[in-house]
Amino acid sequence: MQKAFGRKKVILMFLLPALIVYILFVVVSVVWAGFYSFFDWSGVGEKTFIGIQNYVQLMQDATFWATVGHTLAYTVICVLIQVFGGLLFAIFLTRLTKGRALLQTLYYVPVVISSVAICQIFSKLLSVTPIGVINAVLSIFHADLATMEWISNGEVSLYVAAFVEGYKYLGLYMVIFYAALIGVPKDLEEAAIVDGANVIQQYWRVKIPYIKPVIISNCILVLNGSLRSFDISYLLTKGGPGNASELMSTYMYKQAFSSMKYGYGSAIAMVIVIICMVVGFTFRRVTERGETA
Amino acid sequence: MKTLVAAVLLVIQVYPIFYVVTSSMKTTDDFRHLASYALPSTFNLENYVKVFTTSSMLTYFKNSIIITVGVLIPLLIISFMAGFALSKIRFKGNKRVLEFLMLGLMLPFQVALIPLFTIFNNLGILNTYPAVILPQIAFSLSYSIQLFYSFSKFLPDEIIEAAIIDGCSPFRTFVEIVVPMSTNSLLTVATMQGVFTWNDFINAYTFTKSTAMKTVTLGLNDFVGFMGTTDWGATFAAITVTVLPTFVFYFITSKYMMSGLTAGAVKE
Repeated sequence: MQKAFGRKKVILMFLLPALIVYILFVVVSVVWAGFYSFFDWSGVGEKTFIGIQNYVQLMQDATFWATVGHTLAYTVICVLIQVFGGLLFAIFLTRLTKGRALLQTLYYVPVVISSVAICQIFSKLLSVTPIGVINAVLSIFHADLATMEWISNGEVSLYVAAFVEGYKYLGLYMVIFYAALIGVPKDLEEAAIVDGANVIQQYWRVKIPYIKPVIISNCILVLNGSLRSFDISYLLTKGGPGNASELMSTYMYKQAFSSMKYGYGSAIAMVIVIICMVVGFTFRRVTERGETA
Repeated sequence: MKTLVAAVLLVIQVYPIFYVVTSSMKTTDDFRHLASYALPSTFNLENYVKVFTTSSMLTYFKNSIIITVGVLIPLLIISFMAGFALSKIRFKGNKRVLEFLMLGLMLPFQVALIPLFTIFNNLGILNTYPAVILPQIAFSLSYSIQLFYSFSKFLPDEIIEAAIIDGCSPFRTFVEIVVPMSTNSLLTVATMQGVFTWNDFINAYTFTKSTAMKTVTLGLNDFVGFMGTTDWGATFAAITVTVLPTFVFYFITSKYMMSGLTAGAVKE
C-alpha cells in the first residue's frame, strides 16, 4: 500500500485540494488582516500607512481589555457547562437501561437550532414585561425574581449569554462523550467490578481515565469555540447594556463594520489570533505534560 | 429516580422547542392575555400562512439549500481525501502537514471577515453564493479533516492492500473501496457540518445584502417591525419551519452518527 500510495503524485492528489483552499482562505486572510492592521482605512478610499499606531491605540483601549476579560470569563463558563455538563449527561445516559437512543436524540435538540432562533427564544423566555416563562417559574421560589432583568442587566448579561451558549452546545459534547464511554472495553469494567469497585469508582478510576484523550480534545474544541464565539453576544444581549457583555470578536466586528475602522478592526483581529494561539498552545502544553508524567 | 432525572433533563433540553411550536399557534390576543407558559387558546395556523405570504421564506429556503449543498459536497470530498491520506499514508512531513491544518481549529473565523469582505468586494462577488460558500468550506476544513483522520485509522489496511494488488489505482481504490466502507464517518461529518452551515449566521449576515440572497436564519428577523416590536407568533412559526429540516436530517442520520463517533472517539 505504501508503495502505491506513497508516490509523490498520489500524496499531492489527495492533499492538494484541501491545502489550496485552506491556504487561500484561512492563511491568506490572517496574513492580509495583519497587513491591514498597519493602516488607517475606512474601507473605502485611500489607506494611510500608520505603522504600529493601531496597536499603540489598542494597548490603551480600556474597552478592548474589558472585552478580553469578558471573553475569558465567558470561556470558563462555557467549558464548565459544555465539558462537565456534557460529561454528566453522557454518564447519565450510560446508566440508563431503556430509551437511551431516544433520549440521546432528544437531549441533542438545542444543538440543531440556529443561534438566531435560540436568541429569539431566550429573549422571549427571559423577558420581564410581559413576564416570561423563566421569571414566572423562578417567582415560585422567590417573588422578587418575577421582575429580575437578565438581558438588560449589566451585572448578569455576560453570564446569561455564556449560559445560553453553553446550553446550546452541551448536547454536542454529550454525544461525543457518550460515544467514547460506550466504546470503553467491557472487560475493563468487569475487572473493576470484580475488584469491588462501586459505580462511582468505576467511572472515576476506570472509564474517565480511559476516555481522557476525548476529554482533552473536547476541552480544546470548547476553548477555541468560546474564545471566538460571536452570535449569542451579538444577537441576544447586543454586547450590552453598555459594553457589559461585549466579547473580543463582537467588538472587532463592530469596530470594522459599524464604525468603519478597518485598520483598527484588523489590529484587534491580530491580537485575537495571538490570544487564541497562546491559550490553545498553553492548554496543549499543560495537558501533554500531564500525559507523560 | 432515574426516570425522574431523565424527565427533568428532558424538560430542560426540549422545553424551548416545545415552547416555540406551541407559541407559533398563539394569536396576537393570546400573547397579550395568556400567561407566557400557557398553551394557545385555539389550534391556529394563521402564523404559518403569514410566514409564507408576507416574507420571502421560500426564497430563503432555496438559498439555504443551495449554500448547504454547495458547502457540504466539496468539503466532504477534499477533507476526506486529506484526512484519509494523512492517517494512512506514511510520508515525510506528514505530522507537519497535519499540525499546519489543525492550526485552523484555533483561528477565530471573524478574523478573516475584514480581508474576505474587501477581497470579495473588489472581485465583485459580494452578495453571491460563492461569497457565502467558500469561507465556510475553508473554515470547516480543520475540524472535518480531524474527524476523517481519526475515523480512517480504523480502516483495515488488508482490504486496501488487496485492492492495490488486484491492480486498482490509488484513486480507484479510494473511490470504490474506502468510500463505501466509510459511510458512517461521511454521514457523521455531513450531519455536523450540514447543521452548522444551515444555521450559519455570520457569513450570510456579512456577505449578503439583498433579500433575494438571504438565508433562513437571516429571514427569522423579518418579523421584527420598524419600531422594534416583534410579531412573535410569526417569528415562532418561522423558527418551527426552518428548524424542521435539521430535525428530520438529524433524526435520520443520528444512528449512523453514533456509530461513526463511537469508532472515532477513543483512539487518537
